[in-house]
Amino acid sequence: MKKKKELKISRRTVMKGALAAGAMMSAGSIPSKLFAGEYNIPDPLKPLPTTGGNMRWIDSGDMKGVFWKKLFPEYAASRGITIEYDGLPWKEINKIVPIAIRNGTVHDVFQLPLGMDPGVAVAEGWVQPWDDYIENIDEWLAAFPSGVYLPGVNQFNGKTYGTCLTANKRTGTCLLYSEKYMSEAGYDPQAGRMTYSEIRDAAKKITKNGNGQYYGWIIGGNQVNRWEDVVHTFGQVGGAHSGRGGFTNRHINFQNGKFQIASDQYMEAVELLLQLKSDGSAFPGVMSMNAPQARALMPQGAAGMIFQGPWCIGVWGRDAPDWKYGIASEPVPDGKEAQPLYIAEGGSNTFWLSANSTMGPFAGDLIRFMGTEQGQIYWAQTVGAADPAVNPDAVAKAGLTGPSAQALAMFAENILVGPNPIVRNKDVGIVAAKSRVPDPSLALVIQGLYTGQLKGVEAQLKDCNQRYEDALDKAVEEARADGANVTRDDWVFPNWDVYSNYGAEKYQEL
Amino acid sequence: MHKKPLSKQIYDARWCYLFVLPCSILTGMFVIYPIGMSWYFSLLDWSGFTKEAKFIGLQNYYEAVNDEFFWDAFIRSFIFMFGTVPIKIVLGFIIAVFLNNQVLKLAPFFRTVIFMPVVTAIAIIGIVMTFVFSPFNGPANKFLMSTNLTSAPIDFLGNPDTVLPTVMGVYVWKWLGITMMYWLAALQTVPQDVYDAAKIDGAEGYRLWIHIILPIVLPFAIVIILVEAVGALNVFPLIETMTAGGPFFSSEVMEIYIFRTAFVTDSGTMPRLGYACAAGVFWGVAVLFITVLQGLWMRKTRRI
Repeated sequence: MKKKKELKISRRTVMKGALAAGAMMSAGSIPSKLFAGEYNIPDPLKPLPTTGGNMRWIDSGDMKGVFWKKLFPEYAASRGITIEYDGLPWKEINKIVPIAIRNGTVHDVFQLPLGMDPGVAVAEGWVQPWDDYIENIDEWLAAFPSGVYLPGVNQFNGKTYGTCLTANKRTGTCLLYSEKYMSEAGYDPQAGRMTYSEIRDAAKKITKNGNGQYYGWIIGGNQVNRWEDVVHTFGQVGGAHSGRGGFTNRHINFQNGKFQIASDQYMEAVELLLQLKSDGSAFPGVMSMNAPQARALMPQGAAGMIFQGPWCIGVWGRDAPDWKYGIASEPVPDGKEAQPLYIAEGGSNTFWLSANSTMGPFAGDLIRFMGTEQGQIYWAQTVGAADPAVNPDAVAKAGLTGPSAQALAMFAENILVGPNPIVRNKDVGIVAAKSRVPDPSLALVIQGLYTGQLKGVEAQLKDCNQRYEDALDKAVEEARADGANVTRDDWVFPNWDVYSNYGAEKYQEL
Repeated sequence: MHKKPLSKQIYDARWCYLFVLPCSILTGMFVIYPIGMSWYFSLLDWSGFTKEAKFIGLQNYYEAVNDEFFWDAFIRSFIFMFGTVPIKIVLGFIIAVFLNNQVLKLAPFFRTVIFMPVVTAIAIIGIVMTFVFSPFNGPANKFLMSTNLTSAPIDFLGNPDTVLPTVMGVYVWKWLGITMMYWLAALQTVPQDVYDAAKIDGAEGYRLWIHIILPIVLPFAIVIILVEAVGALNVFPLIETMTAGGPFFSSEVMEIYIFRTAFVTDSGTMPRLGYACAAGVFWGVAVLFITVLQGLWMRKTRRI
């Protein structure tokens, strides 16, 4: 008797099919080539150790984590190793990495805490160069856009210590909003950049429509850097031209080398936040939630607006695919034209290889692959605008649409490359290592003003500005006492045209 | 009588010393050495990470005593202690009195329920409590709203006026069970014939407790207060998980202050281990001073 042919479908195939179908229906803008078993990981350029091992990796998570959690198992299986991944918020990275460095248990690949000078990491011997582990590294580096790999930023003593797979051309304070609530309030942020008054009015109307069920605006207020990020970026949009990055760049107007924390634009931005509170438009629990918690409440319908970064796109796409939201540029003070935002040269999400790591060959092999066009396409397809891939060709080929594509276009339009004192004088790195953000920092001052524990915006910001000036002066003085050739003039870039990129030729003019 | 030389005494007790040795080594490694090193580090300008460390004498101490945030945290630690210890002592005593009653059949059940938070990981409690007190869908606010006790949700952990009392409340709830156990142990030292004699003499109700039982358990109270006071000054995991000292330092106690300066600077700039050690040493001495005072008080009470 002829045996009837059975249709055999493995559980894995069913799962993959279901996942792919679900993703096609929900993600829309994300191509389907994202699922386990579908990455085309090339063979290593040279034989890797056959001893196996466990590679530990820590970074700031979010959409990076989503990508790594899909790629790592496949990569690990293809190379006969295991990979232990920890994706944590920056607040945790800032705690864990320094302690791990101190006790010698830091991950094989890690990100340095925010604002920590990489020059110190190199000088202290915490990290080792990637050169021995990335095959044909010169050729590999040449494929990156100019300005990503720079001496004093991620290259030291002629070696590459930090690898960047992502561009830093993004902001973390975009206007993200519920389409429904905003439309019911009578506003369309897509029609043009909203003004402070419009934001305030929209927040009031959303709160009124919510009738206690939802509110106009939300922020992760116990994560203090959110306050500073909003005021800093809004201040820049208002015309307070300043740098971004660590203490020795942030809030400094490179036209005169001075902090501008007490500028009118910063004050206006702080006032906006206080008005959102006094209007009753702020979600009532903002002071007891961090940024991810605030972000998670948006799709639940708790608030109409949040000022956060493009990393929300991927998270919301995954956790709340049916929720309709929009992304727009930061608001502008009434009656003003939006001014450019600035980033320093270099990439973002720099990965450092622990000096104690024995997994360098694998880490280098993986990083090398991720720097290729194919690796960058994979990255862009999953991470999107959250952490834009550094290779613009790969981003174009990734076929992004929807909010991700919109966010990238927005960043391209709004962000310029500004001066970076450390590129001009590497001894600025010594100053960075000596720097201490004064207590209370700007972030805490804004939080204190918001809670009402501090009074008087102008007086508080002026005091804060003076503390920052004094702290930088002190750090410069200490660096000079240690032999650094640096003065506050290194922060003055008289040839900075705030409406154009500050490139290598500008540094040569100085 | 001829006294043996010290070396002979030690030799004769060599087995005792041998058995004490492991504990002494561990104490040396994990208590004595860190204390000694913290004294040394407190004299350095050192981030704790870099090789460079500069001897600066008492400058860190000078800076600490001139820092308003240091004193705010210092005072807040004592507010926490004075706000929680009396409540725990009194409440723990009252509960212990009730649960010490042999007639109460469900006493073991209630003892277990009250003791349960004690054996739950404090970090877990801290995190769970942030959800319990959340103004958005938190059960505490839901209860208050549903019973019309409040018309709008209260941001317990985000309001500078409510954050410390809230954390103190959680602390009392978390550790009340252990205070109750101390009191139960104390009450169970009171012989039954004392109760019987008191009853024969007509002492009942509060008079029995005030005039008979309380004087007997008073020496225990001194020890319990001492233990509780020191415990209330060590609240780092609860506050770190619930508020991390915020908002704007409203719940920053000394341990959070020390942790912040030692490890977690605001924007990732280099921490200051030397300075944090100075603050820690200062704090340690203050706690030691209080402990000694309590010890003297205890000795005086025992004499009475």
